[in-house]
Amino acid sequence: MSYIPHSPREGKDLLGTLNEFAYAEYGSFLEILALAKKAKSSRRKFGFIKHALDEYRHSSLFFKILSNQAKRGVGKFKREYRYFPQNVIIKGYVDKEGFLIEKLSLKKLLEFVYANELMVKETFDRLKKINSIIQDEESINILNSIMKDELDHHGQAKKLYEIKFPDSKLQFALKKERIKRNFRLINFHNIKFLNKIFDLIINFFISCFGKIINLITVPDSKNENLMTLDPQSVI
Amino acid sequence: MFYLGISAYYHDSSVALIDDEGSLVDFKKEEWLSRIKGDKTFPRLALQELINSFSLSDENIKFITFYEKPVRSWISVLKHSIKNNPLSNDLTRNYFKNAWNSSMRFQMDLSKYIKIKKIPILYSDHHLSHTLSTLYYYNDFPYVSVVVDGYGDKYCTSIHHVKSNKEIINLWNSEYPNSLGLFYSAITDFLGFSINEGEYKVMGLASFGQPKYYENLKKTIKFEDNKLITDTKYYDYIRRTDRSFSDQLTNLFEIEPRLPDISLEIGEKKFQVYADIAASAQKVLEELLFSIFQYAYNLTKEKKFLFSGGVAMNSAAVRKCSKLKFINQLNISPSSGDSGAAIGASYFGFLSEKKNNNFVSKNNIKNSLYPGKFKPEGNFLEFGFDKIADADTSLNETSILIANNEIIATCYGNIETGPRALGHRSLICNAHNSDLVKKLSTEIKKRSLFIPTAPTILKEYAEKYFYLENSLMNCYMHMTATATPKAEVMKNIRGVVHIDNTSRIQICNETHLLGKILSNLKKFDIYLIANTSFNISSDPMVYDEIDAVVALHKMKIKYLLTENGLFKKKFEIKV
Repeated sequence: MSYIPHSPREGKDLLGTLNEFAYAEYGSFLEILALAKKAKSSRRKFGFIKHALDEYRHSSLFFKILSNQAKRGVGKFKREYRYFPQNVIIKGYVDKEGFLIEKLSLKKLLEFVYANELMVKETFDRLKKINSIIQDEESINILNSIMKDELDHHGQAKKLYEIKFPDSKLQFALKKERIKRNFRLINFHNIKFLNKIFDLIINFFISCFGKIINLITVPDSKNENLMTLDPQSVI
Repeated sequence: MFYLGISAYYHDSSVALIDDEGSLVDFKKEEWLSRIKGDKTFPRLALQELINSFSLSDENIKFITFYEKPVRSWISVLKHSIKNNPLSNDLTRNYFKNAWNSSMRFQMDLSKYIKIKKIPILYSDHHLSHTLSTLYYYNDFPYVSVVVDGYGDKYCTSIHHVKSNKEIINLWNSEYPNSLGLFYSAITDFLGFSINEGEYKVMGLASFGQPKYYENLKKTIKFEDNKLITDTKYYDYIRRTDRSFSDQLTNLFEIEPRLPDISLEIGEKKFQVYADIAASAQKVLEELLFSIFQYAYNLTKEKKFLFSGGVAMNSAAVRKCSKLKFINQLNISPSSGDSGAAIGASYFGFLSEKKNNNFVSKNNIKNSLYPGKFKPEGNFLEFGFDKIADADTSLNETSILIANNEIIATCYGNIETGPRALGHRSLICNAHNSDLVKKLSTEIKKRSLFIPTAPTILKEYAEKYFYLENSLMNCYMHMTATATPKAEVMKNIRGVVHIDNTSRIQICNETHLLGKILSNLKKFDIYLIANTSFNISSDPMVYDEIDAVVALHKMKIKYLLTENGLFKKKFEIKV
């Protein structure tokens, strides 16, 4: 249900893509868990818990596929593929300023789930078609089962939306989410280029301010009573 | 009035709240609420919980204290990197880029949740926060305090002379990059475990190895002329952001670093080599700690020690340090890492208010293990669970289930402050059944066999089962030190004894939740329960009942003990 990662360009960086999917699913797990905590009825709490556990399972399965490919020696297993929970924030799948339930109305949230669960299924389809690397049966079965779950979630969100907001149109929401996603993908595919520009700016700053920073003396507190140091000083 | 302490931006963000009488009334880690292990972002969820529970506002908060001095922390590493690396170096660029996400944005983040115009914001020295977080629990000075962590506010190791809680003299420090914590993290990284999370795995793995690399490894970090010196050519944490060890260290070990995220199992091809590396690193760490403790004693002649910082969580090293002949007492806080430093920060604010030098608060380790105002959610569990015992009979029923070799999860009252499960967020079972303990650790918690499971025992039986160190009696209350089981009982508790013949024990009394269960278990001839944290190894500890339900399904456990009663799962959700 989280933001959808990029899909790989043909034959390239399959492991990186799987890694992105694993974190995206983990982000979804956290978002749905936050929903479960806010839900009022017991039935709905358990409904969200079940959905959250689906997302958690998907995340674990993507990490498993990743591990399977690494063990088979497919692609170069990068150290940054190591599971690091905080990547879910660093990669932007969960916003450190708040979960979706804290930022969106129920209507917007259901639109988001409806659209993104469908788009994630489409992305998986593309991943399967272009992928000639995932060949082990276990990994293929895992992908199929995840696709089925995503369609279920899409259907559940649609059903709940139609009950809660019978006069609204979901197709409009889908178009809106597709546009947003395309902007995110443009940003993603250009991130390396943007980073290069950013690095040039940073290098300029370092050359300007590096020497000044070196001149700053960081106070030494040796032999001092630490309880009497200026408590409002930040240095 | 309240005194709020906050630790954030490096790892394990947290908040702590101390009241007018100096009592820790609440402590929360952000990861418990965000469900992101090691969450280091500003602890907004934890803070919001405190604001709601205690109606906090600018009217009733006296001071807000941050656990370190942000500019000093940021600038110290940057200065070192600019001086020693080319300008375009990764680490330097990273520090510049992340300035905006570092602790320098503390006040800006804070102001989103609390009006701070009227509240003085204080900044405690990082290592002082660690010392105070331990002193909070053991208000009986004088002490010598040894702080050993990765890095904080310029220093990596400190020796403080705690003459009173208003007079804490900084006697000695080792500056970045000479760091025992970063050394151990680099080995953790080399062995394929995550830094700030996998260090306990290295400690567990060490017991399976021989220190064959010790002679080589000790050349890379040493204590000489009362200085801790790291040979940084072996360690890339001063140059790179993507790994902590250098190719030189790889050459030293003559083996490739282990790939992350592929499980390491006993008996596999390279297991022994990696275990030998872990054993060597553990030995280097212990010997350097001995030297630092000796130096601390030489400087102060104090025999009562406080020990804090992330390295103090190395319970195997703690036990060995406690045997040093000049140590009468070695005290560690239940949460000695950076998250616990929030307690030290709030205590700093509290002490700043006190005019009386000899003020001694009533805090002690017995009454501060489970601070907070946790409210159970009540009835929602009954949708997915059968209530098999009410609150008044639940402990008795739990004991019967344990005697029948069932595994019970607990989500009972306030959560523990530290990383060790002390009963309130635990998975417990009969410790005399070693097959069951093995199942709990490997099948349910998904841990490798080289990571031990700890036992809990009543005080009256502790000496019958274990050789206890007098100097560590306080640590045994919150599982921060190991003890050696007696030979005659070893066979009966093998499941909770590590391969090095030690157990990280928790001793409790009969007023404690696990104490009550253990009292009931006497009639079944069960005197120890295996006790591990209620989470799968890569998840944060369970916080509330929703997390408990999720974790029960992930781990396929049937029983949950809460304050409202004992519950049994009605159905399984596929995970």
